[in-house]
Amino acid sequence: MAKISRRTFLRVLGTGAAAATAYGLRPGGSLLRALTAEEKAALQAAQDQWLPTVCGQCPGGCGMMVRVVDGRAVKIDGLPAHPSNRGKTCPKGQNGLQVLYDPDRIQGPMKRAGERGDGEWQAISWDEAITEVTSKLAELRSAGQPHTATFLTGRVQGQMEGLIRRFCQAYGTPNYVDHKSISMAATELAHGYITGHRRLFGYDWENTNYLLSFGVAFLEAYQPTVRNLRLSGYMRRGRPHQRARIVQVDTRFSVTAAKSDEWVPIRPGTDGALALGMAYIIIGEGLYNRDFITRHTFGFEDWTDDDGVTHQGFKSLVLRDYAPGQVEAITGVPAESIARLAREFATTAPAVAIASRSASMQSNGLFNQMAVEALNALAGSFDNRGGPIIQRPAPYLPWPDVHLDAAAEQGLAQPRLDHAGTERYPLAESVYQQLPESIASQDPYPVNALFLYYTNPLFSSPEVEPVRNALKNVPFIVSFSPFLDDSSMYADLILPDHTYLERLQDVEMVPSTGYPVVGLRQPVVAPLFDTRHTGDVLLEIAKKLGGTVELAFPWDDFEQLLQYRVNGLWRSEQGNIIATEYQHFWEEFRLRSFWADPPYRFGEWSRVFGTPSGRYEFYAQALKADLAQAAGGEEQIDALLAKMGVQARGDEAFLPHYEPPQAVGDPAEYPFYLNTYKMMTHAEGRGANQPHLQEILGTFLNQHWDSWIEINPSTARRLGIENEEQVWVESPAGERIKVRAIYYEGARPDVVNIPFELGHEAYGRYARGRGANPNRLVVNYTNPLTGTLNPFATRVKVYKA
Amino acid sequence: MPRWAMVIDLDKCTGCQACTIACRMENNVPFAGHELADAGRAIFWNEVFVHIEGEYPNVKAAITPRPCFHCENPPCVKVCPVQATYKDEESGLVLQRYDRCIGCRYCTVACPYGARYFNWYKPEWPPGTENYQNPDVPLRPKGIVEKCLFCEHRLPIPACVQACSSGARFFGDLDDPEGQVSQLARSPRAIRLLEDLGTEPNCIYLKEGQ
Repeated sequence: MAKISRRTFLRVLGTGAAAATAYGLRPGGSLLRALTAEEKAALQAAQDQWLPTVCGQCPGGCGMMVRVVDGRAVKIDGLPAHPSNRGKTCPKGQNGLQVLYDPDRIQGPMKRAGERGDGEWQAISWDEAITEVTSKLAELRSAGQPHTATFLTGRVQGQMEGLIRRFCQAYGTPNYVDHKSISMAATELAHGYITGHRRLFGYDWENTNYLLSFGVAFLEAYQPTVRNLRLSGYMRRGRPHQRARIVQVDTRFSVTAAKSDEWVPIRPGTDGALALGMAYIIIGEGLYNRDFITRHTFGFEDWTDDDGVTHQGFKSLVLRDYAPGQVEAITGVPAESIARLAREFATTAPAVAIASRSASMQSNGLFNQMAVEALNALAGSFDNRGGPIIQRPAPYLPWPDVHLDAAAEQGLAQPRLDHAGTERYPLAESVYQQLPESIASQDPYPVNALFLYYTNPLFSSPEVEPVRNALKNVPFIVSFSPFLDDSSMYADLILPDHTYLERLQDVEMVPSTGYPVVGLRQPVVAPLFDTRHTGDVLLEIAKKLGGTVELAFPWDDFEQLLQYRVNGLWRSEQGNIIATEYQHFWEEFRLRSFWADPPYRFGEWSRVFGTPSGRYEFYAQALKADLAQAAGGEEQIDALLAKMGVQARGDEAFLPHYEPPQAVGDPAEYPFYLNTYKMMTHAEGRGANQPHLQEILGTFLNQHWDSWIEINPSTARRLGIENEEQVWVESPAGERIKVRAIYYEGARPDVVNIPFELGHEAYGRYARGRGANPNRLVVNYTNPLTGTLNPFATRVKVYKA
Repeated sequence: MPRWAMVIDLDKCTGCQACTIACRMENNVPFAGHELADAGRAIFWNEVFVHIEGEYPNVKAAITPRPCFHCENPPCVKVCPVQATYKDEESGLVLQRYDRCIGCRYCTVACPYGARYFNWYKPEWPPGTENYQNPDVPLRPKGIVEKCLFCEHRLPIPACVQACSSGARFFGDLDDPEGQVSQLARSPRAIRLLEDLGTEPNCIYLKEGQ
């Protein structure tokens, strides 16, 4: 059969997309015979090349290469040189062609023809669509209402984030609302207070010897997951005689737990207490890294400030409150285990502790995260070999200044729609799940236009139904989705973007490698349909709006804008591409599809710690300052904390400490915590329109194409629920969903688990009507302090259907 | 003649199933859809099996990816009445002649590893999806049996090996004493499934643990 040139990985770039001449090997034919000599020759003459790009199936940003035969993309594999995935892929990455060739893609701009949600559409031209959006935006602006336009975003990558933010700024709306508050906002906030960097950390997994994970789906969905998978293999077997130990603290026996050396089942929301109990042993037995604590931390010992006031330090707080016996009572983890884990952690350097969703998305999430991070400081692994590191940002050329006209200034002076950063959510930057209420109550003002970019609030928001009402009440909704997803069904206009395999875009790696990596997503095939890059569409709208909005974007198209920013990478004269001329840099960038500037240099402490003390802060002075500012003075902080439902007072509130997690639902009526977990195969429901992924959805529990609820078998029997029987799951949100009960010994008796993947009411033939959406059950319980959703606080009941 | 073999390190495997999708995409294996999948009729040349045992909180899971083992002594070949499946003399692989297969499924029953799949249905390629068919691999019609061929059209790197995210898969010549595969095959962790049947599978697993 055809040997072609496939192993030589032609990196043919430029225009030659489809020179479909010779044999034109048509798909769909049934080739049961061997090829004739002519056919073989024709096949060899066919244009067969591997084109580099960046994956878009999750935010990870893996480098990819796509095999394109006569203009058809036929296979995806990892880009061998890419520093994150090094040629490796996950199943989603492999499956990208089912996104590109989805039979239910939107084929061009559309206007709503029937009632909202009816799904009746009328095809319109791009000119009409853009004119309609522009005139609406111009109308709002001239009426002094630009702030009532709202951009809701999900997976913004590379310059698209800056572009949309800049558009909002120049246009005059403070309402750029991203989805971090239903994701990792609390983790980022904690990182900000302890290190001065409000973002995720990178990790030097190559050298880690001990990984203690608190509820992190390390092998399923966490930061660049393929890098984790690749390096988990390396941690286990890549270094002779040095097999890293991995311990998973989790409310559920996940795949990560299964592949760990030990699973520590923990009572939901008590992760912080366990970390502090471990700290008690590490400190009490003198196992902590004295050098790191002395030189690079603040607030470990009790200390006296400039006014002579004595403050509590981390050490005395831990030794006072977190003896293993007490922690056992809180967490359900035996005191001996706590002591053993602490000793292992402190003596198996380099050791790393990580935490996310089920630990951080709780009423006490901020403090849980701070407590877990404190273990890294005690072990001295912070910004050391094998430890958490601070990702250096890519040296993009700075954006030019934006000049605001009076309309924009007026608009930007308005409060945010989601109340982020106000007395309601003092520490929040964005509160995604607040929108339905703000829209319904018109508080602080009505929303007159809503733009949806890579987000699907009618699927991913808690409770879901309030979102439907909100969408019905917004007079003008524009969606940029390439797919007719749940929320786009309620749009007035759909301006479909290209899919990621048809689009030019940069993707700066999420924190991971430590050194900056910028991937270049490049179109591997010409757009299949009449779709347009949302970046180009926004630039055109800005141009049509004219005035200062137009002036804010001195670029003809998105590629020019991208090149303007990328020019900074060239000017830095760092990294894997050095060129005397920018044009050569750009050509080489397109050829390699990524720019990276290794290695990571440890111990640049002035860069690593941007805190007031320039050190790792056990005692978070910035938290204290933020609270003082929100409360109107330091002496008012305690009153604010009381209002925010925080129990700690005084110094304790700025230190890692444990607060009892709040749950929603009376335990007598709703006996189970609901855990909506993530799986490798889908990543938050975005893969539900891909049939291959549906078919391997829940292999871990032998489930596919449908939703299920995992329930501990003894508990289920007590309730008279049979294995594989349909049950209702009901929550205090007033909603119930019907799913199949699956007996699972990896479920705690007090927790039921439903993967956060299925239950779409639209999104194409493979997603629609399959399974049930557990977000319907999740009560919209937002943490007042941080503005983050606490999805794991919802309690449910389960009964036979 | 090389003796192609695959080594799968179960300590490294995370059950991510990149292998499964890489295989389906490379080898033009269509999805079955929910009804046929529920009936157990989905085709996976490479399937990942999970076995969970124990009682809360002492739970263990074994994750085992399963390609075709390309046995030295393949039971499927012996039972095929029409020589549609055969041991290729040149490569040592167990291959398929699709145009000879009569769909009797003797081989499917004979294979102790469940590696063979019958096309119960006409493969469905909804409009547009035929675009991603790999021109190097023929499509199979309803009524015949198919299975993993160790990607013989792209030797020596099967698609699953190239994709494997944790680097758990190795592929090479068992007869090359210096090769990685033959060295790993001599590891004290090396096992072969159901060895007592005398099939001599050319897929070697490395056990989990220290």
